[in-house]
Amino acid sequence: MQAKPVLEVKNLRTSFRTERGKVTAVDGVSFSLGKGEVLGVVGESGCGKSATAQSILRLFDETYTTHEGEVWFEGQDLLSLPAAAMHSVRGNHISMIFQDPLSSLNPVYTIGNQIAEAILIHKNVSRREANARVLELLKLTGIPAPEKRMGEYPHELSGGMRQRVMIAMALACESKVLIADEPTTALDVTIQAQIMALMEDLNEKLDMGIILITHDLGVVAEVCSRVVVMYLGQVVEEADVVSLFARPLHPYTQGLMKSIAQMDCDRSQPLHVIEGTVPSLHSVPAGCRFAPRCPFADDLCRTRMPELEQHGDSQKVRCWHAETILREGNADA
Amino acid sequence: MKSYLIKRLLSVVPVLFIVSTIVFLILYLTPGDPAIVILGEEASQEQVDNLREQLGLNRPMVEQYFSWIGNALRGDLGESFYMNETVMGAILSHLGPTISLGILAELIALVLAIPMGIIAARHKGTATDQSVMAFSLLGMSIPNFLLSLFLILIFSVTLRWLPVAGYQPLSAGLWEHLKFLILPAFALGTAHAALIARMTRSAMLEVLNANYIKTARAKGVKERWVIYKHALRNAFLPILTVMGQSFLSLMGGTAIVETIFSIPGIGQLIVNAVMRRDYAVVQGAVLYVTFAFVFINLAVDMLYGIVNPQVRLDSKK
Repeated sequence: MQAKPVLEVKNLRTSFRTERGKVTAVDGVSFSLGKGEVLGVVGESGCGKSATAQSILRLFDETYTTHEGEVWFEGQDLLSLPAAAMHSVRGNHISMIFQDPLSSLNPVYTIGNQIAEAILIHKNVSRREANARVLELLKLTGIPAPEKRMGEYPHELSGGMRQRVMIAMALACESKVLIADEPTTALDVTIQAQIMALMEDLNEKLDMGIILITHDLGVVAEVCSRVVVMYLGQVVEEADVVSLFARPLHPYTQGLMKSIAQMDCDRSQPLHVIEGTVPSLHSVPAGCRFAPRCPFADDLCRTRMPELEQHGDSQKVRCWHAETILREGNADA
Repeated sequence: MKSYLIKRLLSVVPVLFIVSTIVFLILYLTPGDPAIVILGEEASQEQVDNLREQLGLNRPMVEQYFSWIGNALRGDLGESFYMNETVMGAILSHLGPTISLGILAELIALVLAIPMGIIAARHKGTATDQSVMAFSLLGMSIPNFLLSLFLILIFSVTLRWLPVAGYQPLSAGLWEHLKFLILPAFALGTAHAALIARMTRSAMLEVLNANYIKTARAKGVKERWVIYKHALRNAFLPILTVMGQSFLSLMGGTAIVETIFSIPGIGQLIVNAVMRRDYAVVQGAVLYVTFAFVFINLAVDMLYGIVNPQVRLDSKK
């Protein structure tokens, strides 16, 4: 499949203590990220993509959060590290960028200051050296007039520029893994393409592994080599990108594919929608979690939860009826 | 920034003009002849005439008004009817104690309130948070005079660490000056601390949920720096606003505490002037409070710009 993974998530479970009881946002998620690989994590809002990403870096307030399972990175399990040791992992070996670059940058510090901070925390360099590196990073991420931009505040930059700044910050210490949590969702379409091109470019140049969290299958098809599809805190399908688009096995994945508007589709027909909504984490269905919305669901689905099982060389799916679906083709729901 | 400052200073002019007009009219808002009000019912006609002459009450009102404004512009606010000094002199001599007491009280308030607010926000919903909030409620609810009396009882009467009351100017030495101010400043500071701590807590709670805090954590910033570098500065605008208000109320004089501790501050000056119907001093004091109000607000606005670049006004234009 690929070389030895840089990051391996094994059976990750993240639960939050809330006023309405315990909620498990990530429920037994496993996947691995190869060196220099771009892995897509796809799903609707509320399916646990972001929670998974933030669990890897342990960004949640751990007074209210419990993590179970393992996250292996460079021979150590991040989840069993003492909290203080995570500081030298975050931003140094694994970095993260977020959805909305404006609210993700601190409004009261210049961007130069914010990028330099990441360097100064992890590397033993002077402020002058850090600033020289900031300039390099701004050039690398394609920000025009970097000397001038360094002294500017986030509100003085455009949305695309801000996301470039976030990326520059994430690259500051040459991390081995970049987790990008919907990096283009808040941007204009043209800017989205530029940011994705930049990320692809950096992935090639720096050989950095990227976990790309998105709900945009178009983006996935373009840049990812492998995809994990999540639904309600679980992985429902995992495949290389070609197999996934050629023969999506899980009814949820199929639903997602059909929901993409095609240029050549029949415009008199309404766009396909997956019926219903993602249930609340407070009322998780008993059997297969997708059963209440699934066109193939039967009694088995409603009572017993399927496991994630291997199908062919490069595909795993969590569905009782994957064989049938594969034989009979896509559901015409 | 400079042009903004000039604009703000110019906008102060009409405010002061309106206030000084109202202040001038104070004398005429009192029913009857101000001279009789001042001297009392038993005064002889001769005394009343003399006072009217002295106050210029026998001249037409418009003329009086312009001469009052003209004098005020030159810093001459008239003379006190009771004390043998000019109104300006009286205000200036009472200003020293008020400024010292105000600054000390505000410092005590900040030193108590900001760490308390931060701790409460970080441990939201825990016993720590609840005890900070309970302390804050207590601080707001205890009347100043009661707290003052308790403090005197403990630190002056029982422990004999600090004097019961009185005042020494800074020229008498720093400790001499401070030892009279510590208890009153503490009495005032706790009440202000209570308010500032609440504001700090709620501002911090909001900021700690912001995305840039997540970014800072994801960068590997240590929790302590996340709080003090990234969060506090963003939470500071609302804190600055309450600080300005609290400092303002301290600068306007704190009559009760000043009276209990016999500190000759603005508060005492105002109370005495009102009780003695020393109108000239009342007018002067109201003008002073207006000045203080306008300039402290201006200072707070300037500080906004320093703390948060997004309110850095017109610096680029």
